[in-house]
Amino acid sequence: MRRVWVALAVLLLAVPTFAQRLITEDDVTRVAERLYCPVCENIPLDDCGTAACIVWKQEIAEMLVAGMSDEQIIANFVARYGEKVAGVPLDDTLRMLAFIMPLIGLLLASIAAALTFTNWEKRKQTPQAAPQPSAAHDDYRQQFERDV
Amino acid sequence: MLAEIGAVTLGLAFVVSLYAILASVMGEVRHRTAWVLSGRNAALLTLPLLAISTGALLVALVTEQYQISYVWSVSDPTTPLFYRITALWGSQRGSLLFWCVLMALFAFGAIVLNWKSDRRLMPIAIAAMMAVLAFFVGITFFMENPFTRWWLDPSTMREVDTLLIPPGVVAPDQAALAATAQGLNPLLRHFGMIIHPPMLYLGFVGFVVPFAFAVAALASGDLTTNWIKATRRWTLVAWLFLSLGLILGGRWAYDVLGWGGYWGWDPVENAAFLPWLVGTAFLHSVMIQEKRGMLKVWNMALVIMTFSAVMFGTFATRSGVIQSVHSFARSEIGWPMLLFWAGMTLVAGALLVWRWQRGELRDEHPFVGLLSRESLFVMNNVIFMALTVAIFWGSFGAPITASLFFNQEITLGVEYFMLVTPPLFALMYLLMGVAPLSAWSAMSLRRMGASLMWPLLLTAATLFVIVLTSELNTPVSVLAYGLVFMAGYVALYETARGVWVRRRAHRESVWLALRRLYGRNQRRYGGYIVHLGIVVIGIGVIGSTIFQLETRRTLQINETQRIDRQYELRLDGLQQGISADNRELIVAAMTVFRDGREVARIQPRIDNFPNMPMTIAGAHSTLEKDFYVLLTGYDTERGIASFKVYINPLVNLVWWGGLVLILGTVLAAWPKEIVPETVRRTRKVNSLAGEMA
Repeated sequence: MRRVWVALAVLLLAVPTFAQRLITEDDVTRVAERLYCPVCENIPLDDCGTAACIVWKQEIAEMLVAGMSDEQIIANFVARYGEKVAGVPLDDTLRMLAFIMPLIGLLLASIAAALTFTNWEKRKQTPQAAPQPSAAHDDYRQQFERDV
Repeated sequence: MLAEIGAVTLGLAFVVSLYAILASVMGEVRHRTAWVLSGRNAALLTLPLLAISTGALLVALVTEQYQISYVWSVSDPTTPLFYRITALWGSQRGSLLFWCVLMALFAFGAIVLNWKSDRRLMPIAIAAMMAVLAFFVGITFFMENPFTRWWLDPSTMREVDTLLIPPGVVAPDQAALAATAQGLNPLLRHFGMIIHPPMLYLGFVGFVVPFAFAVAALASGDLTTNWIKATRRWTLVAWLFLSLGLILGGRWAYDVLGWGGYWGWDPVENAAFLPWLVGTAFLHSVMIQEKRGMLKVWNMALVIMTFSAVMFGTFATRSGVIQSVHSFARSEIGWPMLLFWAGMTLVAGALLVWRWQRGELRDEHPFVGLLSRESLFVMNNVIFMALTVAIFWGSFGAPITASLFFNQEITLGVEYFMLVTPPLFALMYLLMGVAPLSAWSAMSLRRMGASLMWPLLLTAATLFVIVLTSELNTPVSVLAYGLVFMAGYVALYETARGVWVRRRAHRESVWLALRRLYGRNQRRYGGYIVHLGIVVIGIGVIGSTIFQLETRRTLQINETQRIDRQYELRLDGLQQGISADNRELIVAAMTVFRDGREVARIQPRIDNFPNMPMTIAGAHSTLEKDFYVLLTGYDTERGIASFKVYINPLVNLVWWGGLVLILGTVLAAWPKEIVPETVRRTRKVNSLAGEMA
């Protein structure tokens, strides 16, 4: 385990070298935060301390130095390790699958609520007298007394 | 001997809980009071049996009985007494037993406290609670027994871990076992983690009680509000513990997991959040049924969904199917748990559909307007359900669907959740700011507008001050803070209006009016305090999410680096050593400067436990912000180290808001006897008369 930390230190201490070529440790973090460790499930690459992840972060630094954009780097990782490593799938179908369901969920819940209101409306037997506001405070007092 | 006592009482608890189910159902079906009483007594007996079993395991942990393999796997001779006790829930087997005893405790409380008032519902409610208990005691006894022991076969010199003693084996040498004992998982040696699991378990098992009463109502045909009245406080208590568990879990993650945040949208974390969301929807929706006799089907569906989410959360954490820092190791209990979850949900769902089709769950009152409180509570439920679906889909639904139908493994990470959930949370705060001002059955737009005036003015004034004086003022944050402040001011305004009305009507002092206001409707005004807690949490979450600064730095000893316009950080030294409990410690001594002045000395460190490194943050914490530093790499020979530095504005409000939320829930759930003043006076007079006589 100690080797891992030393390796991590070596990697991170090496990054200032890249800094002279216009990239910083924060640039690597920015990309690594959007990727997931291909080995450890559900752990962002940026937070993962395994030896493999340290190498992958080094690769990110090298790609940034080579002039690749964040999106190109993520696409490169996805091409090599699959959609699993991206925080959101790059494939259009999978991306749509990911985002369409919450919308459908909200839509269905709204329809259910609308149906509930309609159902209540149908059941309305006799029209209720609309509250006749006099002074606002007396009104509130009545409501208050009813509530408590 | 301890292993025998623990195993036998655990086995007896399983048999007794099965008997309780049988006797209660038979008693209900055949209308035999003796059977019902026998079922009740059996159900009550499960608590002492499981308490003895748990006690045996605790004694074994404290007295270092390493022959019991659970004790061997979660402690070692260097483990302090406090952690020996908390090791009870430090691993799958012990925590399952702990789950069972807490479930038995809740069942015991529900039976004792509700027996007289809800006699008609009790037999089936007991059967439902005992079904859940029997399942968990069963998988603990048969699949994850914490009382198995190490035995040495002299002929092969191999050690076996079994419950029953195989022929020809001998007990291994205690000293040899102690030398190889594994010790407690380092991640669990934190205050938050010591309290977090019991709170979460209490929240989970607590929701079984309303579910059991709902099933009893559906099965017995008593579909009035009796089941809701019977479980109102149980639901609030379960919600309280679940909230506490989630908050403490967040604090643990912030302190121990070393990623600078408190919520990582990890699937197992989310699995514990789902019952909270559905349970919150239920707490609101149930009021409509109590006050207006509406939404009967929906409330039943919600309580079944809450139970289902609890079972799913337990499955996600315990099956090991989902890898996470929050989950236990892979276990064989996954399939039985999945089947039990599906079975109970289907049975309850089928009962609901049956009653619904028979027309026994009709609403008692007509709809009266979109701005009425019942309508706004329905909208609140829409938001909570949309959040539940979105989070479930992102954590489980989408990855499983992609795997089954597209043969692709996908991860939906923080990017997905930060895109999907904020608009829904914004709508939730919007409703929190409007619904309390509405009235049951009717509300005109004009009256709503008039009620909103003061909270709106206060919100506008606060935002004006923020924009003028603070750096936290991007358009998105101003909009978000506007919604959150509005919800807070409405809660305060409603309380102030109540006090004002009482003062005018009864000529009371402010303090007395406030006390009586809470006394007369503690759920409503306790609820407003809960809203204030959620508002404070919201302020903290917005500040620490939108304005978090994260940067990586590498420093040499005595080097100072500027982090932002205010803060500078200096590395004073690096130390390496071995602690008393055998961890390798690497500690960075650092000084934090704010506006050129030294404000704190911090020591971020790495604890290298065998097979597990932990990064412990060094933090300078104020109410305004946390300056939070993690040591991520080091080279002690060259005197150089790398750090991850976070500035988390307002993050401490998340914890303070949590405390306010707990206080509000305690107030809302506090038991009280409603005795009118006149009756109290009569009682006093009678007692005085009795004394004189």
